[in-house]
Amino acid sequence: MRWVVYWSLFVASFKMFVRNRAALFFSLFVPLLIMLIFGVLNFGGSTTVTLGVVDEANTTGSHALVTALGHVTTFDLHPGTHDAELAQLKEGHRDLVLVIPAGYELKVPTAGSPGLVAYGNQSKPEQARVGGLLLNAIVGQMLAGGGAGPLVAVQDLPGRSLGYIDFLVPGILGLTLMQLGLFSVSFGFVQLKRTGALRRLFATPTSPAYFLAAQVTSRLIIGLTQVFVLLGVGLWFGLHLVGSIVLLLGISLLGSIIFLAIGFGIAGWAKNEDQAAPLANLVSLPMTFLSGVFFSRDAMPAFLRTITDYLPLTYLNHALRSVVNDGVGVGAIAGDLLGMAIWAAIAFLIAVRLFKWE
Amino acid sequence: MTSWLTTDAPHHQGAPKPIVQVHDLRKRYGTLQAVDGVSFEITEGEVFGILGPNGAGKTTTLEMIEGMRTIDSGTAIVDGVDVAKDPRGVKARIGIQLQASSFFDELNLLELLELFGHLYGRRVDAKELLVDVELSEKARSQVRTLSGGQKQRFSIAAALVNDPRVLFLDEPTTGLDPQARRHLWGLVRQIRDRGHTVVLTTHYLEEAEELCDRVAIMDGGKIVALDQPLALIDALLARGFTKERVERLANLEDVFIDLTGHTLRED
Repeated sequence: MRWVVYWSLFVASFKMFVRNRAALFFSLFVPLLIMLIFGVLNFGGSTTVTLGVVDEANTTGSHALVTALGHVTTFDLHPGTHDAELAQLKEGHRDLVLVIPAGYELKVPTAGSPGLVAYGNQSKPEQARVGGLLLNAIVGQMLAGGGAGPLVAVQDLPGRSLGYIDFLVPGILGLTLMQLGLFSVSFGFVQLKRTGALRRLFATPTSPAYFLAAQVTSRLIIGLTQVFVLLGVGLWFGLHLVGSIVLLLGISLLGSIIFLAIGFGIAGWAKNEDQAAPLANLVSLPMTFLSGVFFSRDAMPAFLRTITDYLPLTYLNHALRSVVNDGVGVGAIAGDLLGMAIWAAIAFLIAVRLFKWE
Repeated sequence: MTSWLTTDAPHHQGAPKPIVQVHDLRKRYGTLQAVDGVSFEITEGEVFGILGPNGAGKTTTLEMIEGMRTIDSGTAIVDGVDVAKDPRGVKARIGIQLQASSFFDELNLLELLELFGHLYGRRVDAKELLVDVELSEKARSQVRTLSGGQKQRFSIAAALVNDPRVLFLDEPTTGLDPQARRHLWGLVRQIRDRGHTVVLTTHYLEEAEELCDRVAIMDGGKIVALDQPLALIDALLARGFTKERVERLANLEDVFIDLTGHTLRED
């Protein structure tokens, strides 16, 4: 290994990326733009969840619960009857409808006693999700305050008000890493192949492996830089980052490796950009919409969710989201990491099989 | 620039020794025998031309000697190194200008030459190299902004970063206007005068006559003639060859150069 050779190729790869306006536009500017647009649209202030409340119990406890909900600024409260509120939800005027059933008592639910039911609006999954988390938190807090013992599952929720930005940022991170791996590699590399610049490189005594290593490592560094930039912008928009940055970088690195390998597979197979473009889009488009970048995957039909559970970006997004939103450790995302490792291995093998220098 | 055309460069004399030895080289693509038993030797310090119509096997022959293409059978030895056994060793000793040379778009000429120097494990004086090929004023430009002749000159500069024993030029003047072509001839002579051996392919016969000490004419993957240009012409005349029309003392290219001058047009 001659470090000077590697280093000069690394610097060249880095310069080439930074000076390529199209590459910069798609891999850095577009994700930022998406975040800015959603930032301006959705989180100028805190997220509002339109909540219908149907109090069929009509007890002191249920009154106390409704009053408590009224104090939460995130909730735009609409008391009403069961049928009227559900009709409002179907019309799209409610994000979430909470039903306090007759006979409900404000205590830890036991078998057979009626529990709280909340109906979420499927077309507003983020609000429904945020509202659901808040409801659980508030009820949990009240139960704990009533001396009934804390509900472990909701202990970490009080005080946090998750907004769409909290959902979006991890998704955008995953999306960006995917785009960087797929597009910057497949387009850039195929261009070098088509013009003969790659061939010119092999007229020197340097092994092609040096160039490949330089390209991969420069892309990894650029990807990790993007993670920092996007997290920074996210924090500025009020992102609640509770997880470990180091773990996030580790997950991002593993994710990047998958998509770089797929990108090199495409670049190695394709003869020109016209062959690379449709293939790269074929890989990236389904994942953009089915792997939980912009929308919660809870809203998807069960069969589609089952299939798309196994997509590499689904693993990546879920792992990133768990760490960003819930601050989990490696153990809690071991399944995601395993899925990503398997994908990385598959993509690497396919890339090696398909790769042709000329 | 014009002095290069009129000044006849001094030829290297003395004990000639072969720097490239090619023996019975063959290459087949499917049913096409692209190179069919080619043998020749190139003497150190000479400009050696490989001529032939398209598809004659010139480029394939060149690329096998350069280590850019695998050899089916036969041997090619460059500066004592067997290409088949040590292609990287050969690449380290030679400079290669490919037929369609292309470089990284986002890097400027200085950066590219420095990078290529590193690929040979050398630190090069990129500015000096650009002076040699008269591209100093383009040092911070990208290759895509260069004219055809400038691109070819840059491509030659990139092939010189390792101070090669043999410089291979594959159709260096194809697509250039007469002024740029003559300018490049001057550059090739300069390189030869510094002691580099030059091997080039061309299908401009007057270029071969002008530049090459010896030429090999290829057709159908075989060498059909190999000698000094004038010797080949004399041999043809000795066989009783006469032109149907007597050659005038000037041709249309001379008229063209006379009317438009030797000055390079590079926009």
